[in-house]
Amino acid sequence: MKKLLLKKEIDAFRKKAQKLEHPREMVIDLLRAIQDHFGWVPDAGVELAADILGVPPIEVEEVATFYDKIYRQKVGRYPIHICDSICCWTRGGEEIAAHLQQQLGIKLGQTTPDGLFTLLPTCCLGGCGRAPSIMVGKRFYGHLTCDGLDQIIARLREEAVG
Amino acid sequence: MPTLTIDNQIITVAEGASVLDAAVALGIVVPHFCYHHTLGAIGACRQCAVTILEGSQKGLKMSCLIAVEDGMVVSTCEEESVAFRGQVSEWLMTNHPHDCPVCDEGGECQLQEMTIGAGHGIRRYRGNKRTYTNQDLGPFITQEMNRCIQCYRCVRTYKDYCGGEDFGVMGSQQRVFFGRFKDGPLESDFSGNLIDFCPTGVFTDRANRFRTRSWDLQQAPSICPHCSLGCSTFPGGRYQELQRVRSGGNRLTNDSFICDRARFGSDWNNHPKRPREARISGEKVEFSYALELLEERLEKLVEEYGGEALRLLGSPRASFEANLLLKNLAEKYGAPAPYYDAHPRRAFAARMAASIPSGQLASLKQLRDSDLILMVGVDPLAEAPVLALALRQAARAGTRIVALDPRPLELPCDFEHHPLTQESLLRGLSAPEENELLESLRQQLEASQRPVLVGGGELLGGEGLRLLLHFSESCCGSHDCLIFPVLHGPNSFGGGILGATGDSNRNLIEDLENGNVRALICVETDPAIEHSEPGRMQLALSRLEFLAVFDHLPTNTVATADIFLPTRTIYECAGTFINNEGRMQAFDPVLEPGIPIVVTGSGGHPPRQFETTPPGSAPRSAVHLLQWLLKDRNDLFGLRRQIVKELPCLRDLDRLEAGDNGRRIADCGDKLEESRTEIWAQEGELQVLPITARYGSDLYSRWSQSLTSRFEEPSVWIHPVEAAERGFVNGQKVVLRTVVGHFHLPLVFKAKMARGRLIVPCLPGTPLEVFTPGGLSLPCKIYSEVDNA
Ligand code: SF4
Ligand code: FES
Ligand code: FES
Repeated sequence: MKKLLLKKEIDAFRKKAQKLEHPREMVIDLLRAIQDHFGWVPDAGVELAADILGVPPIEVEEVATFYDKIYRQKVGRYPIHICDSICCWTRGGEEIAAHLQQQLGIKLGQTTPDGLFTLLPTCCLGGCGRAPSIMVGKRFYGHLTCDGLDQIIARLREEAVG
Repeated sequence: MPTLTIDNQIITVAEGASVLDAAVALGIVVPHFCYHHTLGAIGACRQCAVTILEGSQKGLKMSCLIAVEDGMVVSTCEEESVAFRGQVSEWLMTNHPHDCPVCDEGGECQLQEMTIGAGHGIRRYRGNKRTYTNQDLGPFITQEMNRCIQCYRCVRTYKDYCGGEDFGVMGSQQRVFFGRFKDGPLESDFSGNLIDFCPTGVFTDRANRFRTRSWDLQQAPSICPHCSLGCSTFPGGRYQELQRVRSGGNRLTNDSFICDRARFGSDWNNHPKRPREARISGEKVEFSYALELLEERLEKLVEEYGGEALRLLGSPRASFEANLLLKNLAEKYGAPAPYYDAHPRRAFAARMAASIPSGQLASLKQLRDSDLILMVGVDPLAEAPVLALALRQAARAGTRIVALDPRPLELPCDFEHHPLTQESLLRGLSAPEENELLESLRQQLEASQRPVLVGGGELLGGEGLRLLLHFSESCCGSHDCLIFPVLHGPNSFGGGILGATGDSNRNLIEDLENGNVRALICVETDPAIEHSEPGRMQLALSRLEFLAVFDHLPTNTVATADIFLPTRTIYECAGTFINNEGRMQAFDPVLEPGIPIVVTGSGGHPPRQFETTPPGSAPRSAVHLLQWLLKDRNDLFGLRRQIVKELPCLRDLDRLEAGDNGRRIADCGDKLEESRTEIWAQEGELQVLPITARYGSDLYSRWSQSLTSRFEEPSVWIHPVEAAERGFVNGQKVVLRTVVGHFHLPLVFKAKMARGRLIVPCLPGTPLEVFTPGGLSLPCKIYSEVDNA
């Protein structure tokens, strides 16, 4: 069973929280840390964060559910955010989305059966100049073509095996 | 005060009012959702657009956000603003399920009204609608998120105003969800306000789901009978069944909020065991027969033994009128003046509160506006819940709140707590200048502009309130230091006014025990529950020649009374209560008395009325019964005029109307020269303090089945350090020995309570119900269960 956080990380967060006037400012850092460890943030992760920050769980949940890069449901090892905002749309974003769905055999919001990929639509990634674009985990990819996408997927598959 | 024109009508309103306020005052409907006078304006729903024609900011504006200016000209009918409002309404409605036919809010739904008001009648949107999975929010509230229009009023009510911590807004965009982190009962003691504040049918009353259309309800303005604050309410019922209680609106007291105890604890009125028939020695008899017999026996008694043999006991639950008539009855029979509270210490507290000059009493509104609040011996959430809300509003505005109290207090806001024992509080107040803490607080109160002292009658007693009154006088700097006394019941203060003229050195139980008293009449009270020594009282009652009881709760004393006459509840008759700050407030009848038709008709449809009793035997109000005995033929208005003549300090009583803001009494005259020596335990002796439990302590809550989910488990509380010294662990089973008996209880650690004391909450339906809050702490011993064996 994967841990939400290592004990030493928890201790470090608690220590830091004590020093801060408004510990809740760490909420994103904490959720990110849990996500890096666990792959996503389960209910227990929200509760752990709330406990460390000294706030009721709902206050963590409000933040966790507001941001779509915090996953409150299980996602694949490589969550792929496909930009559906205007610049990407003018430069073939829809084809990118269609191609990915077809290649991976899943729809937006689904995860491949091998647990590797989850497809998620996202609003502007801030990479409009390199549209169309996607983000895989925290990695940004721009100037995409269908071929380029196939290579990225292949590379990620290799990485997962290796 | 600025004068402005709206739609060609001229109005002058207070500085700082919004254009929306002014329009509402003129009776002009400007649709709006997010604005509420208690929550303020945030300009979120964009529904309240108007056009400003003249003023510093012209054009289309949100009327809730624009402050009125002198000479301003506003139009609500310009084409642009009309179209804007219609469009906003259409957006808000795109996802709405249009399920009004099955929605409980229908008929009293702000969304219905505003949508029509905004001129949006035809839906053009044909796409899919957003749908949600609802949460289970516990026994009181049903959630139906699909009806949500994202006005954010619920979070602002629950979290911001009421300080609840388990409710919030999640998600973003089309997925915004208002609820809890996980399914489960809402934890706030004010959760029910969601029902009143949600402008649509998202949060509705669970117990009454699908039972009544709002237009079928009988409703009338009323006053909450659960504590001494006298919050304004608006109860409704149907077919002789009280179905719900909503908040009324009195800006001087509870504003628009009530506590859950009041809202969800009203089914005592329909209690299946509610005594509804006259009885003699337990046998059902005809109403008029019982009444005549009572009169006959009273006359005979007085003839034989004189008025001295008769005692009368009124109550903080009975209306002021009933308590006053009881006094007239005492005069008629030459009996000593009545008692107005079965609990002598609480009665003294009420007399003391009623003797505070009227101008020195604070209202809840003044408390919300205060700039320094010192609470002495009060647990708001247990004794006067809406007080906690008022404190929160003061705290939100930056007011410092200091509490001196032995209990592990909780409040929905930040406050400073000094856990002092009851005795050290009383000792401190008796010589405040020698007490460092009190002296420094005194100086701060003196330096404040709008200081208020909150004093708990239950913990401090009359003696403590007297000391507090002195203390407040020493705190008056350039401004008066006001007092907010918290008493026991809705009419405690009224009883205090009436009781002040009686001989305060008497004591009901001693009267009964010395053998000269042969008869007692109790009006809407059960001395065997409410007296400080219930067991002793029960014994004394059993020795009486006859005991007459007028009541509507199924108490033991009702069952053992020689003559019992059922009375109407406050939902079935009109009357007046005088609240803890001396505010007279009238209530009107909501329903006819009678067994709910769902009971007599076994729930069949269509509901038909079945009578199980002969006509004319329905309960009458206590006022009516007493008037019959007094041969007083006044109607309520006549009676009130009579009272005004007798008691000039109540001079506005005959001008009251149910649903108004009530009227303060004028000063009642001389200062009460009453003082009682109480023997305060020394520090270091182990004592146990019985306290008011948060739910179930008042008699109405006790008989509200719907509230039982909030009753706590019996336990005895101790400070962890104290426990460690004695070698106890948290949760351990202990035996508590006191004069009233011994109890096997789990020991619960409370780090925020006073040291050197144990605390037990008085809980009905548990062994702890033999304790009565309102007294001093009692000597006790505590053992671990094992040692005891
Ligand atoms: S605070 Fe007291 S009077 Fe007000 S609603 Fe609650 S119980 Fe009733
Ligand atoms: S629109 Fe796709 S990155 Fe900005
Ligand atoms: S009421 Fe003015 S914007 Fe909502």
